[in-house]
Amino acid sequence: MRPAIADIERLLAAFEETTVAEETPGVVARVSLADVGDVLAELKSAGYESLVDFDGMDTGELIELTYRMRSYSFDVELFVKTTVAYGGTIESVWYEYPSALMPERETAELFGIHLAGHPNPKRLLTTDGVAPLLRKDVPIRTVEEVRAR
Amino acid sequence: MTDRCEETLGVGLLCEGQHDPGVPPAGLRRSPSGVDGLTTEHLIINMGPQHPSTHGVLRLIIEVDGEEIVAVEVSVGYLHRGIEKLAEHRRYDAVGTLMDRGDYVSGMMGELAFALAAEQLMDVEVPRKAHWLRSLASELNRLASHLVWYGTFGLDTGAMGQFLYAMREREALLDILEALSGQRMMFNYIRPGGVVADMPLGLTEQIRTFLSTFDTYLDEYHQLLGGNEIFQMRVKGIGTIDRQMALAFGLTGANLRAAGVDFDVRRARPYAAYPELDFEVPLGTTGDAWDRYIVRMGEMRQSARMIAQLIDGMPEGAFTAKVPRIIRPNAGEAYASVESSRGETGIHLFADGTEHPYRMHYRGPSLFAAQALEEILPGHLIADAVMIVGSTDIMLGELDR
Amino acid sequence: MSVFAISALKVAAALGLMLANGVIMIYMLRKVLGHLHIRLGPMHVGWKGTLQTVMDVLKLLTKEDITPRAVDRWLFRLAPAVVFVPSLMAYAALPFSDTWRVTDLDTGLLYTFTALSLVPIGILMAGWASANKWSLLGGMRAAAQQIAYEVPLLLSVLPIVMLVGSTNLGTIVEAQQGTLLGVVPRWFIMNPLFWPTFLIFVVAALVETNQTPFDLSEGESEIVAGFATEYSAMKFGLLFLSEFSNQFIVSALGVTLFFGGWTLPWLPHSWYAAVPILGPAIFITKTYLGIFIMMWIRGTFPRVRIDQVMQLGWQRLIPVSLVWIVFSGIVIKVWS
Repeated sequence: MRPAIADIERLLAAFEETTVAEETPGVVARVSLADVGDVLAELKSAGYESLVDFDGMDTGELIELTYRMRSYSFDVELFVKTTVAYGGTIESVWYEYPSALMPERETAELFGIHLAGHPNPKRLLTTDGVAPLLRKDVPIRTVEEVRAR
Repeated sequence: MTDRCEETLGVGLLCEGQHDPGVPPAGLRRSPSGVDGLTTEHLIINMGPQHPSTHGVLRLIIEVDGEEIVAVEVSVGYLHRGIEKLAEHRRYDAVGTLMDRGDYVSGMMGELAFALAAEQLMDVEVPRKAHWLRSLASELNRLASHLVWYGTFGLDTGAMGQFLYAMREREALLDILEALSGQRMMFNYIRPGGVVADMPLGLTEQIRTFLSTFDTYLDEYHQLLGGNEIFQMRVKGIGTIDRQMALAFGLTGANLRAAGVDFDVRRARPYAAYPELDFEVPLGTTGDAWDRYIVRMGEMRQSARMIAQLIDGMPEGAFTAKVPRIIRPNAGEAYASVESSRGETGIHLFADGTEHPYRMHYRGPSLFAAQALEEILPGHLIADAVMIVGSTDIMLGELDR
Repeated sequence: MSVFAISALKVAAALGLMLANGVIMIYMLRKVLGHLHIRLGPMHVGWKGTLQTVMDVLKLLTKEDITPRAVDRWLFRLAPAVVFVPSLMAYAALPFSDTWRVTDLDTGLLYTFTALSLVPIGILMAGWASANKWSLLGGMRAAAQQIAYEVPLLLSVLPIVMLVGSTNLGTIVEAQQGTLLGVVPRWFIMNPLFWPTFLIFVVAALVETNQTPFDLSEGESEIVAGFATEYSAMKFGLLFLSEFSNQFIVSALGVTLFFGGWTLPWLPHSWYAAVPILGPAIFITKTYLGIFIMMWIRGTFPRVRIDQVMQLGWQRLIPVSLVWIVFSGIVIKVWS
């Protein structure tokens, strides 16, 4: 279920540059990259016990990261979004939410961003030297490969 | 540094990157220590990717003191096919084929998640019959998937019989699914807007025949495995994931419910025909491997119950909405999640108005279960590790995507 | 014929029995497990797949014998022999009938147990020499099991030895002849005094022969193939064969100790002398029934965990068998 926007706004009042709005997937709080760790810590203390999902999306200019939070006690869900530049660095939230350990590694390798504060910031799925696959500027096949077929 | 580390540990991988070999890498929390004044050497063992009971290509790098696991690192990616990237180059009605290959034992649920996400962005009213057929396909597939889990869990304990018995039932289910969708495992049956085809004639009878014996068989299977003293000795009290830990690691599905958290997407966020169905959500108490076993066995019973309701109350009407041949959803973002056999399968979909998804993120429940292994395995024996991996029912296809 | 020629012939006969036994038991295992698991087992090579195992043995003989680079070569090559030879040795004392036996040893029971207890040394060697961690674990498990269950296995049969007053297997069989009330055979299994003995014997024997639910040293779901992981071709074949042979020996011991060996109580004693094949036929039939039950267990039961096996051995079976020796000693003394 969706939480009341006013509640989230009140909860995140301390963080400037935060907007809370209702969008198609649910209630989305957009925060700045610097605030993400604190916002998530705040949300955890407010009862969002579980980080259900974490993923990224290449908008063509920068990378949008989505944290999907859920509180099982209150049965509410919240999306927290932030953006990071190509090659930027994100702070790991594994200490608050251990479930971020692998998704963060995956997102970092597939979008070519760096992880800070992660206990094991290795690549998760691909081997060293593979381009950040989910970036829009990485083709599924290179032009040469397509021609060779 | 790396060389020395390879020499002493046997596995170079643990020492790569930024880690000093003296400092245990992630997940390796306990440093080597002597036992009772004896200095014993810890072994580092690669369990997988080619090991009989890692359910595919999971690789556990385990550090053992004798047979007791001191530390674990879960290494995945051996089945990475880039499904998320490939989906950006498929049309909306073809992404289902990729979802089938994600969680290849329960493809219907993956397809359903994608279809639900796409429909959020389409101006389409899914007919009631499509909802029911989707639920029917999902539940049949859940049964098939749980039977695979039951069989392989039996294999993990060293009991061979269960696997082949479970396969017999699963074969009947796959026949039904084949009759329904035309394929045994790679269905691509549920698509944005509805389903591909109506139920063929005689399928209701086929399902009834199956259900008429299934409950008896399920009791028998439960007695055969769960009623076995040795199995109970092996399973009870190992791999305990309590509520707090399950939430911290983002576990979903039976793994979460075994810890006593009453959350089933089918009930909490109803989709397809589930609001109209009467079913119970089995819950565990302590969250050990035995609870996970009991919860999954209970789920099978509920699935059979739901299938009976679904074929009895199957509505008349169209099985799909009118969707254009080339689906172009409105630009926007959608998130849909379904209760798959392993937990919550989520699809985070970004559409840009073209015939291809702009970005599709596939949340596989197995990924979250797998990373919890790093936390729960230490302190158990190697034999337990096999059981715990089996009890979490991870599926490498959706883990690596 | 010289003594040496006779001995050589006897050894050859035992070897032949062991090999034939292996082939038959593998076929039997496949068929029994197949039918337990609602399938047919081998069906294509020969009538009902009877030639399948023969072909498999041929395959094993002609396969490339891979020796991994990192192994301890001498130990690696020696280990299958060390596993195989004791297994062959154990046939020496088995009484197939009054006259059909390799030797008539007065210490037959002890000798057979000794031969069986040498097998894990070879397994440990194989595990160590393979330079594979799974193999090492398998070898260690075999050694640990062996030490834990050697004791109860021997202790469990002591009451029988006390009653019979001999460790000669032939004498033990002869002590079980005749019937009670004309119907019930006077086998030791019919004597309530030996029921706990039999239970301990079965459990310890299953452990000794690495059978499910105690097949820990090669538990394929846990440690790949245990000590046999790195072995291929006929080296693997030998390890495999001696395992089946051990199964046969343990089953034969069970038959000898508890089920009257080569005798059936309802047949007149003169028949055994008249038809020399009768005794061995009865003995082997009984043994194969025992093997069938072991296979049945194998097809049904999950595996026990290593620490549970150890606890069962040290904390339950050894004390129980010690207590039972004292108790049955008193009973036997009072009775006689």
